[in-house]
Amino acid sequence: MKSFLGKRAIASAISLIGLIILVFFLSRLTGDPTNLYLPVDASQESRDRFREIHGLNDPLIVQFFHYMSDLVQFDFGMSIRRAEPALDAVLRAFVWTLQLAIITMTLVTGSAIVLGSLAAYHVGGFFDRIATFCSLIGASAPDFWIAIVAIVVFSVHLGWVPTSGTGTVLHWILPIGVLFIRPFGLIVQVVRGSMITALSSAYVKTARAKGVRNRPIIFVHALRNAMLPVITVIGDQAASLLNGAVVVETIFGFPGVGKLMIDSILQRDFAVVMAAIFVTAVAIFVMNILIDILYAVLDPRIRY
Amino acid sequence: MPLKISRISATLLATTIAGQVLAQESVTVVLSEELENVEPCMAAKSNIGRVILQNVSETLTELVPGAGLQPRLATSWEDMGGGTWRFTLRDGVTFSDGTALDAADIVFSLERNKSDKFVCETGAKYYGGFELTTDIVDDLTIDITSDPAQPILPLLMSTLAVLPSESNPDAFVDQPVGTGPYTFDEYARGQYIKLSARDDYWGDAPTVQDATYVFRSESAVRAAMVEAGEADIAPNIALQDATNPETDYSYPNSETVYMRIDNSTAPLDDVRVRQALNYAVDREAFIGTILADGTLQATGMTPPSTIGYNHDLSPYPYDLDKSKELLAAAAADGVPVDAEITLIGRLENFANVTETMEALTSMWQEAGLNIKLQMVETAEWNEYYSKPFVTDGRPIMVEAMHDNANGDPVFSMFNKYGSEGVQSGVADPKLDEMIATATAATGDERQGLWEETFAYVFNDIVADVFLWHMVGFTRVNERLDFEPSIKTNSELQLSQIEFK
Repeated sequence: MKSFLGKRAIASAISLIGLIILVFFLSRLTGDPTNLYLPVDASQESRDRFREIHGLNDPLIVQFFHYMSDLVQFDFGMSIRRAEPALDAVLRAFVWTLQLAIITMTLVTGSAIVLGSLAAYHVGGFFDRIATFCSLIGASAPDFWIAIVAIVVFSVHLGWVPTSGTGTVLHWILPIGVLFIRPFGLIVQVVRGSMITALSSAYVKTARAKGVRNRPIIFVHALRNAMLPVITVIGDQAASLLNGAVVVETIFGFPGVGKLMIDSILQRDFAVVMAAIFVTAVAIFVMNILIDILYAVLDPRIRY
Repeated sequence: MPLKISRISATLLATTIAGQVLAQESVTVVLSEELENVEPCMAAKSNIGRVILQNVSETLTELVPGAGLQPRLATSWEDMGGGTWRFTLRDGVTFSDGTALDAADIVFSLERNKSDKFVCETGAKYYGGFELTTDIVDDLTIDITSDPAQPILPLLMSTLAVLPSESNPDAFVDQPVGTGPYTFDEYARGQYIKLSARDDYWGDAPTVQDATYVFRSESAVRAAMVEAGEADIAPNIALQDATNPETDYSYPNSETVYMRIDNSTAPLDDVRVRQALNYAVDREAFIGTILADGTLQATGMTPPSTIGYNHDLSPYPYDLDKSKELLAAAAADGVPVDAEITLIGRLENFANVTETMEALTSMWQEAGLNIKLQMVETAEWNEYYSKPFVTDGRPIMVEAMHDNANGDPVFSMFNKYGSEGVQSGVADPKLDEMIATATAATGDERQGLWEETFAYVFNDIVADVFLWHMVGFTRVNERLDFEPSIKTNSELQLSQIEFK
């Protein structure tokens, strides 16, 4: 296992370096940020001074070497737009996104496993219909629309929860509720499909023949074997959330990393873009390693 | 267990109520974007200005809609001749850190505005093209000299946020200290900014004691926050969200939409083609449909409240036949009127900009012009709008929206119409002379010269296609006694807010 983890860490580091080089040059291809930061009426003198202060007059390759030499000291540079260290801005935002992702995925996983398992046990039954309905909603309703409708109904008309922002437990309900729908719809179907296969396997029939009750059959014997594909999908959905739930962050005023990244790309705030990609990439690499470990825990046949 | 559940319910209910009921004497303002910084010299940016300007940091003078230039930190000013103005500072003013305001603070703020360590928005926007020198006469008197002379130097001082000379000269401040009625208490990045009233402010004590600024980029959410009672003012909401006449105010927002024409490339170098472009637009048809009611048809680059705006000019009437006649006459003289003209529009420049641009394109095509619309992001748009222009030899028109809330055309005319102006599509020596003369004049003479300049641009050279003076929408909680004005686009003075 140690050797496997070491190899994965080295492979991840190489991927990360490649990603940094790629993003550095691709982001610079979008052009000079000077015109975005200065007022349109700014004089040529102001423009020249801005480029000089931010090192934009240097050749691209020189800028790259400056960046890499700072990076080995873990210095991601200053955000031009925010006038603060880029890593500070990103880490502050990432904490919000991480909380949002962990809470949402915990709720999604728990509820999707229960509903998906029950749906698989009675195909065509009550729970199966609910699972199908949820999947349909998750796949077809855009986050943006759901978020706005939720605000109008639950905040403006009913007054149950705040429209947006942070500060109390209630502020988390609508963003998590909206984020919940799409991965829940997807995962519940994967659980259902995987469980239908597991429940029709020989060891389940044997357990039934021996008089084991339904609950242990579903949630102990079948579920553990059905979990491998489910974990893959959960990992994929969690990675999407770690990259930032841009729509939800934008509408609910959640100061997460997704909105920060999009704003920084649009504003050509290169230092923040690089730092954001670095932090989210590291988080996703760590999550992938955890998933690999989980595979081995769930299926003793898997050995690294 | 039931007791535990009821405690949790009570806590949740309490937080809900706390979150939704606004405290008396406190206001919450919901802005459209998070402030990138809170540096006073960046207050020319609207969202920074709405928090900082005249709340935390004050200026020497203040342009008041309907009342003209008024004293603020300076009690009086006098033209000493030779480009020098003498400002007398208000006695007894202190910054929120307790230090007294004196002339050295004005010198420091002016120098910092043109720092070589960072670029200030205010410095870059308003203080280009001339040099300022200062001479401290005594603690409360300062001479400011401009080279070349700036007759509007007192007006220019309404843009300069004054900082104490103890501030960091080499970097943006993140805890601004000013002379204004409020102290800057806290900035929780991504979440809120808090200000509170000072008890040692030199002026009248404001009614609003605390203010919280939050940031929501969706207009519908900003509007919903005021409707749900979570916020008091949303200074900028979209037309489609301004649905409640009890709470939603429209106001002239000092923005003018126009088509900047590159007058040097055929067929746009022919005045008849530029006239045809003007006659082919049914400006009235946009108002109340895809543009808000209250939008005005434009005949000049600045809002009508600007001094020297020529009120005798009438917008070009919609006359498709006349437009076609002009194009036919130009074509008969060999002007390539069928050449493809690229029309550059700026995405998200204002509400319904894409629909507006598509409709304009259609109108010009109906007149017989070969227009190709291209909507681009801000950064790319700027490469077409500011010199050196991207042209490739193609005739190009650029859609732009220009803001001038400063009351004088000088903040617009050189850059938009001077031969050396950074966004000027015109190179006309007579116009250069007119702008220079009007810029140097004062009083009634200045007003008359600007009126002539507006008329020359509009009637004689037909430099551009002026379209509309825009309106903005602000949603105000019914508990407040506050009405937005043209200044709401750039500042929001908490001290002007009262409760009903």
